[in-house]
Amino acid sequence: MTNYIATIGVEVHVELKTKTKIFSNSKNGYGQMANSLTNVIDLGYPGTLPTLNEEVLNLAIKAATVLNCKIRKEMHFDRKNYFYPDNPKNYQITQFATPIGYDGYVEIDVDGKKKKIYIEEMHIEEDTCKSTHRGEKTLLDFNRAGVPLIEIVTKPCMSTPEEAKKYLEKLRELLLYSDISDCKMEEGSMRADANVSIRKKESDPFNTKAEIKNIGSISNVGLSIEKEIERQAKIYDAGETFKPQTRRFDDKLQDTVLMRVKETGNDYRYFPEPDIPFVIVTDERIEKVKKEIPMLPDERRLKYQELGIAEVNANKIVLNRSISDYLNNLLDEKINFKTASNLLLGDIQAYLNKNEKEITDTTLTKERFIDLVNKMDDNTLTSKNLKDILDKVLESDKSISEIMKECNVENITDDKAIKEVIKKIIAENPESVADYKAGHDRAIKYLMGQVMKETKGGVNPKMAMDILTEELN
Amino acid sequence: MKYLDKSIIEINKLLKEKKIKPIDLVEEAYENIESSDLNAYITLTKEEAYQKAKELEDKEVDSLLFGLPIAVKDNICTKGVLTTCASHMLDNFVPIYDATVVEKINNANMIIIGKTNMDEFAMGSSSRTSYFGAPHNPWDTNKISGGSSGGSASTIAARDVLFALGSDTGGSIRQPASYTGIVGMKPTYGRVSRYGLIAFASSLDQIGPMTKNVYENALLLNVISGHDDKDLTSANKEEDFTRLIGKDVKGMKIAIPNFFVSDIVDKEIIAKLKETVKVLEKLGATVDYVDMKYLDNAVTLYQIIAMGEASSNLARFDGIRYGHSKENPEDIKDVYFGTRAEGFGKEVKRRIMVGSYLLSGENAREYFYKALSIRDDMKQEFTNIFKDYDFVIGPTTTTTAYLLTDPMDDPSKSFMDDVLVIPVNMAGIPGLNMPIGFDKNHMPIGMQIIANSFEEAKIYQLASALEKELNLELNPNAGGDNND
Repeated sequence: MTNYIATIGVEVHVELKTKTKIFSNSKNGYGQMANSLTNVIDLGYPGTLPTLNEEVLNLAIKAATVLNCKIRKEMHFDRKNYFYPDNPKNYQITQFATPIGYDGYVEIDVDGKKKKIYIEEMHIEEDTCKSTHRGEKTLLDFNRAGVPLIEIVTKPCMSTPEEAKKYLEKLRELLLYSDISDCKMEEGSMRADANVSIRKKESDPFNTKAEIKNIGSISNVGLSIEKEIERQAKIYDAGETFKPQTRRFDDKLQDTVLMRVKETGNDYRYFPEPDIPFVIVTDERIEKVKKEIPMLPDERRLKYQELGIAEVNANKIVLNRSISDYLNNLLDEKINFKTASNLLLGDIQAYLNKNEKEITDTTLTKERFIDLVNKMDDNTLTSKNLKDILDKVLESDKSISEIMKECNVENITDDKAIKEVIKKIIAENPESVADYKAGHDRAIKYLMGQVMKETKGGVNPKMAMDILTEELN
Repeated sequence: MKYLDKSIIEINKLLKEKKIKPIDLVEEAYENIESSDLNAYITLTKEEAYQKAKELEDKEVDSLLFGLPIAVKDNICTKGVLTTCASHMLDNFVPIYDATVVEKINNANMIIIGKTNMDEFAMGSSSRTSYFGAPHNPWDTNKISGGSSGGSASTIAARDVLFALGSDTGGSIRQPASYTGIVGMKPTYGRVSRYGLIAFASSLDQIGPMTKNVYENALLLNVISGHDDKDLTSANKEEDFTRLIGKDVKGMKIAIPNFFVSDIVDKEIIAKLKETVKVLEKLGATVDYVDMKYLDNAVTLYQIIAMGEASSNLARFDGIRYGHSKENPEDIKDVYFGTRAEGFGKEVKRRIMVGSYLLSGENAREYFYKALSIRDDMKQEFTNIFKDYDFVIGPTTTTTAYLLTDPMDDPSKSFMDDVLVIPVNMAGIPGLNMPIGFDKNHMPIGMQIIANSFEEAKIYQLASALEKELNLELNPNAGGDNND
């Protein structure tokens, strides 16, 4: 790293998960045939007017809430005027003067300490169309034109690439969990721009900044900021300066490259959109939207740990939304959550991955899962046996006991029967018994293994171990 | 034949009794249009009109407007019919959708006869900025019929058809109505859906009816008004605009702002207005002269707001998706610059440039946002007046129609044609022009009746009472030097 202090701000565009577009009733979809999801409004035909999709407002209110923003009660839309082929009306409808959310924050962990990343504002706007360059020609796909976006702008409050990455991961998690966006950077439903400048000391004024546009992944955000800091440091070290500029991250070069130098500030000739009346957001509406927000990741992680789940597992569960939702459904049950989490993250997740299923696609109802956890917990069912019956547990509606009976994996829980087996093993292995008595702990493990082998794992291990110890002494 | 000279009640009776068919009216309308040489239309929709008339023969005559021909201003989108805005930019533009008002007209079984001439993109006050040449005034074909709805005004005044639609952003219905001696209503902003009206200045544009008399005007407003899900600025109000027609106007209080009778207005027009005041007083109304603030700022505010919005509204004409496009462009810049240089006329370019300037950088605060705020004050001023008065009246124009050949090299002067009508747009309230007489050259003089928001019915009440009392001969084809 360099001996400069970096100042980083991040702007994120997120496509909202609505059924229809923001200003027309065209479907909001990805990966469809070019220009199949368009109408005269999306194409900016003369005489057409925007309508306002109320779902967009609700999702924006939701986003403002999870980002701890203040929510504006009275707002309007503005026109941002600029000519570009991907901009059908040659103005974009956005919120310039009255962004719906402002003064928010997101909390991240930096070296074990919490840090607030402050959000300057978040506003609603429409997406542009997608242009593809083919040789001399440019092809336009208007399916994306009018897809609802929120743009979230942080204050220049980050100082390392790591912080920027953590912020984006956190943001992504929050938006995913509150069903605001599917946040797929590879499909462009989440896009990030980073503003970077560096200076020697905190007391120095901010230096010239460079904006890195449309970075395609969170790791590339980190990498591009790192490269940009190095680039700027080299310039200052050489006693030179540079002009404010827009750059992009080049995947092949793994470095940022210049797009254009910002000669003067852009003049977007903003003015209030006359086709959309002022929007009033009532407290009732905000309350209603807030009620729809599910338990958020931080709270989930905390809750899981309170219930005895290891931190690492709590984090893993939260990475998988459907597993986490499944677990949340059980929070009030009296079960061993450690066992439950091991089950979910272990055998069940392996099954789901292998079969490309969600847990909700299986037959594992809440009641059956509770039964399963309890059986595992009191050793009625061993983890080895579980592996044998797992497919049936997840694919049939039969009770766990029934399945165990059918598959012949019922544990021997009868003391006498276990004792007989153990006596037999002790008789057959005098050397190991001698080793154990000579103080070699390893020997008891071997003997236990023999017991399991003899019973084909069908014995409650804890019980067996207790009896074995008793018999040996 | 001349059925279209008859009253709407008589025509309706003939249709009901099957003495005439809608096709007879269509035929007569086209004969009228083609025999006059007014250049009132950009496109005649003969094929569609005859077909529609045929279809209507089997239908029951279920309303007064059934089967009647109507002319539509060429900035209102008509599915499958050329909609040019009188511009080279759109002289090949055939919309694939109907404006909401056009849907309403079709649902009312009226027959669209053609698309009327206008100022290019409704920017002008004499229809002389039309790419297709200016329409003529049937009272004197050497004179303008006003603008921007000049074609609609001209064809109604000439009695070609009974009904026409215009649009009014800064007087573009009322001013040509005044110059041609017809009735033109600019309804309350939001009364009529703007969906499908090619925008000039979105916060001011409003479609309205243009007819030869007050009753027919109210009937047409009944058809075209109402809430539209496609226009967020449209109001959710329904009513019968004819319901107060014929009711007494005794005791109604009328204000005339002193600005409206100041020396900016032709003496002959002021004299005619004062005569009319006497008639109103005879009808039992009281008339006071009042001072109103901001009226003299209206044109300046209008120029800032309308041109600012227009510069953005007209940005979409870039040659990429529809309309004129420069051939063999070198690059994207050439597509933009070439298309717009070729496609737009001089006045449109001027307004786009001025509008862009007014919204640029610091100018936005200095001019545009300031104008928006003064507009609110002006609206408040009208609200205050309407606490004490039912109506504000005044002349519609400062002069009567002038010669087509008069110079148009001073763009700011042409706004003076609209100095009396613009305040109504700024306040978003309804205003109606009705003829009150003629000048010494027998050119029509118009009066404007303004009321509070959503009080169109009350305007029609006063206007029809006055119309009946004045009983003017308003058919230019009638020779009419007897009603001077």
